[in-house]
Amino acid sequence: MTVSIGAKFGNSFERWFERHLRVLMLAPAMLVLLTLTIFPSIYMIVAAATRISPNPDLPWQFAGADNFLRLLTDEQFHVGLWNTLLFTVFAVGAEFLLGLGLALLLDRYIRRLNFLKTILMLPMMLPPVAVAITWKLIYEPQFGVLNEIMFRLGLPLQAWAGDVRLAMFSVIVADVWQWTPFMFLLMLAGLASLPDEPYEAAAIDGASAWRQFWDLTLPFLKPVIAIALLLRIMDALRLFDLVFILTGGGPADRTKTLSLYIYQVAYRFADPSYAAAISLFVLFTTVAFSTWFIKRMRLAD
Amino acid sequence: MVRKFLFSVVFALSSLMATNAWADITVLVPSGSEGDGLRAAAADYAKLKGTKVEIVQAPYSNVFEQAANAGQTKSGTFDIVLMDDPWIPFFAENAHLEDLTPYFKKAGLEGPDSDFLSKSLAVCRNPYNKGPYVCLPYVGNAQMFFYDAAKFKEAGVEAPKTWDDVLKAAKALSEKGGGRYFGYVFRGGQGNPVVADFMPIFWSYGADMFNGDRTKVTIDTPAGAAAMKTFMALRDVSPKGVESYNANEVGQALAAGTAASSINWPNWVATFEDPSQSKMVGKISYSPIPAGTKPGSSEIGHWTMGIMAAAKNKQEAFDFMLWATSPEQMKISAQRGNPPVRKSIFTDPSLTSQEKFRHYPVLMQAIEASTPRPRHPKWPEIENAFGIELSKAVAGTETPEEALKRSQAAVEEITGIK
Amino acid sequence: MAHRRKSIGIQRIAAYATIAVALVVTLFPVYWIAANSFKYDIDIFSIPPQWVPANPTSKHYHAAFVERPFLIYALNSLIIAVSTTLVSVVFGSLAGYALARFQYPGRWRYQISFWILSTRMMPPIVTIIPLYIAFNHLGMLNTKPAVIIAYTAFNLPFATWMMKSYFQDLPVELEEAAMVDGDTRWGAFLHVALPLARPGLAATAIFCLIISWNEFLLALILTLTERSQTLPIGIAGRVTQYNTYWGEISAAGFTACIPIMLFAFVVQKHLVRGISFGAVKG
Repeated sequence: MTVSIGAKFGNSFERWFERHLRVLMLAPAMLVLLTLTIFPSIYMIVAAATRISPNPDLPWQFAGADNFLRLLTDEQFHVGLWNTLLFTVFAVGAEFLLGLGLALLLDRYIRRLNFLKTILMLPMMLPPVAVAITWKLIYEPQFGVLNEIMFRLGLPLQAWAGDVRLAMFSVIVADVWQWTPFMFLLMLAGLASLPDEPYEAAAIDGASAWRQFWDLTLPFLKPVIAIALLLRIMDALRLFDLVFILTGGGPADRTKTLSLYIYQVAYRFADPSYAAAISLFVLFTTVAFSTWFIKRMRLAD
Repeated sequence: MVRKFLFSVVFALSSLMATNAWADITVLVPSGSEGDGLRAAAADYAKLKGTKVEIVQAPYSNVFEQAANAGQTKSGTFDIVLMDDPWIPFFAENAHLEDLTPYFKKAGLEGPDSDFLSKSLAVCRNPYNKGPYVCLPYVGNAQMFFYDAAKFKEAGVEAPKTWDDVLKAAKALSEKGGGRYFGYVFRGGQGNPVVADFMPIFWSYGADMFNGDRTKVTIDTPAGAAAMKTFMALRDVSPKGVESYNANEVGQALAAGTAASSINWPNWVATFEDPSQSKMVGKISYSPIPAGTKPGSSEIGHWTMGIMAAAKNKQEAFDFMLWATSPEQMKISAQRGNPPVRKSIFTDPSLTSQEKFRHYPVLMQAIEASTPRPRHPKWPEIENAFGIELSKAVAGTETPEEALKRSQAAVEEITGIK
Repeated sequence: MAHRRKSIGIQRIAAYATIAVALVVTLFPVYWIAANSFKYDIDIFSIPPQWVPANPTSKHYHAAFVERPFLIYALNSLIIAVSTTLVSVVFGSLAGYALARFQYPGRWRYQISFWILSTRMMPPIVTIIPLYIAFNHLGMLNTKPAVIIAYTAFNLPFATWMMKSYFQDLPVELEEAAMVDGDTRWGAFLHVALPLARPGLAATAIFCLIISWNEFLLALILTLTERSQTLPIGIAGRVTQYNTYWGEISAAGFTACIPIMLFAFVVQKHLVRGISFGAVKG
């Protein structure tokens, strides 16, 4: 502080600043998050407890728990919930396994080529809207490359995103393609910082590569794995762009995810109250799951 | 250093805060040819009258929620909204739209002139064809039936007049196609697409969603079942994967010469005739929708301009709408690629003599024989429910009978009509 | 690393083959976007597919960047993504450092950390409505700052958590030594911790950049015209009611990944290391 008022003021400010540093450093982030979440949270809770008419001249009616009770009997909500779970489990699961496998391979066999790792990140950098449209072209049953490859290999042609049995699989594959790099990168980074000593000891004991992976690598990686899974699960639960463009939730409702349904309810059916109720359900489930997960993985400390 | 940096960030942010200098009139339009056309017209208008018209272009799937958001929050963001006609009941009955009657009176008019097609005007009144005008038609779309006449002839059908003709030719062509060529193709995508391609068949068998006085839902009826039977037969001769098709895939299949016929929107005429986009230049014919047990009827899909109730400059907005829908402007609009809604333009010899407007007589006929989608403020919800059941029927996870029964129940539930 | 025993040839070949397959699978769709962006529409839908554009054209690039305002969309995206990234990384580092180093009464440290993370769990679709109402009242609808503010809220939890765990990994002794030498805590943060955290900053920045460069849903509702519309909105606008402009979408989509790719190459040295420190301790 070199203000002309004098060093004294500067010093006392500095001391005050120093003393409250732990609050001051936290403040900007907290303020931004508070202002941007408080109003939406209040709105969500109020909206869920009322019946908002699309007509702005009609007053909001108190609805009590009606919107939440609807969750119990709404078949489309159940379908969405089931599809979202299916998608999350398989997509995140596959991304994790592929990401980890690839990271192990690269860590072991190709350690220097950094540009290779950057290239493997490419899918993540493309706008999801463009990704969805490109996969639509790839899956296209008549003109698509995928069926051309199937044809060349002498395999039966498929309708992919247009086939009830394969639609969800197709959505998952496109998502896995785009987000495996995220897992891969986190895993690779985790592997790069493993200590050497335990492995040396294990090698002397004659432990197999498999045992080393199981007893050493995996436990060491646990925190990275946990964080990576948590972040991906949170993203997978709000999957939107991909299904919106690739399948629109069809065929036969097989790819309708919860976020797609919330979008329809909120904007197409102009029923923000019920959309808020579903959102609150999603929010509470996610928070509950994360709390359990963080405790389980001992990430809190 | 970091402090200096923070300052520059704050400074950079505050310089971005430039206040919104809204234009005199703001118009919400979809991205695509309708929006592009109105944007060009707005530029002309600014030059001519000095009124600045700002065009807000949103992706097609997003225009409805942008307008509904503005209407529901009484935001004066938009003065005019270019609406797809099935949305009109929602906006009108929820007080988002301005009644145009007083504006016509002030302009010394009874209402829109008689050069507009009657079907085009009917959708702009709420309730349908009876109530006051809440918008003016701008782009005149109605589905047409597109087919490869040479292939149909090969299959023994000269000019398809009925769905039975189509089915007969399509079946022969698909059988011969060996999984690479198909006689018919349609939009089977869940939601709007599958409903849009089922409705014309539904109507051409005399079925409708509600009875005349709206006291009954009439989906699960013998007429509905007859329509469903034809629809399923058409599905059986269509390519695998139509379950995810939308207008684009259907048009593309015809343009690439892998399918012989389909229902589609008139915008595709230009694409079929463009050698950089089509292998079928000069080979695609079109007709009104084929007949079932009753005369065929296509789905009307007009783009109409309405004034938002919360608009800031309503009179200027109305003046602009009147100008943009005048015969002179509509002719310019037609030349920019958007079908008109006026008889005089459809029959203007300086247009119809040109190759790219040769479909105008058929299109006018199609509009005059068209039917609007069931007019109900909850149409989006109805369309969604109906779309799910139709998608299930097309995908075969549910029998056609079940689909009709469950659609009937779902629409009864949504509308409260039992 | 001693645990990595010299592998026998076959294993090595199998590993290289697997990596090669992964590369092909990763790159093919990217190549496909690029290839389609240079094809006429008729060739995009040819049977069999054209693996290499037989008749290359720059038509779609012209359509997107000359006839349509994709250059402006890109500029908007750039301003929004860079501002969001800067704000998120700065605020995230401050908060991350505080949570990593300071003591708070009771279980507050855990609770604040968790609350910050939980804001990311809000389903965005419904929170957009109140944001729309608020920005509309403030006259900020369709402005870049509105989008930047919304994105910052979206990116901060991630940035804070990454920086927090990164700072936790730094040896505390270095900062203590600086403070013994007469530096303040703030000084120690500025002069010791932050420079050491450079790799973490690079990693956090690139994730924030990717997320805000590609975000779709919030921008869809909060932006209206070229004044603020971003690339993903421009791209989605080429899926119209009647037609999808595959070529233009491919041209714009392919171009869109270039700036991020360049940034990734510039910071790639830090990247892997940065993430490793950032994530290891969660």
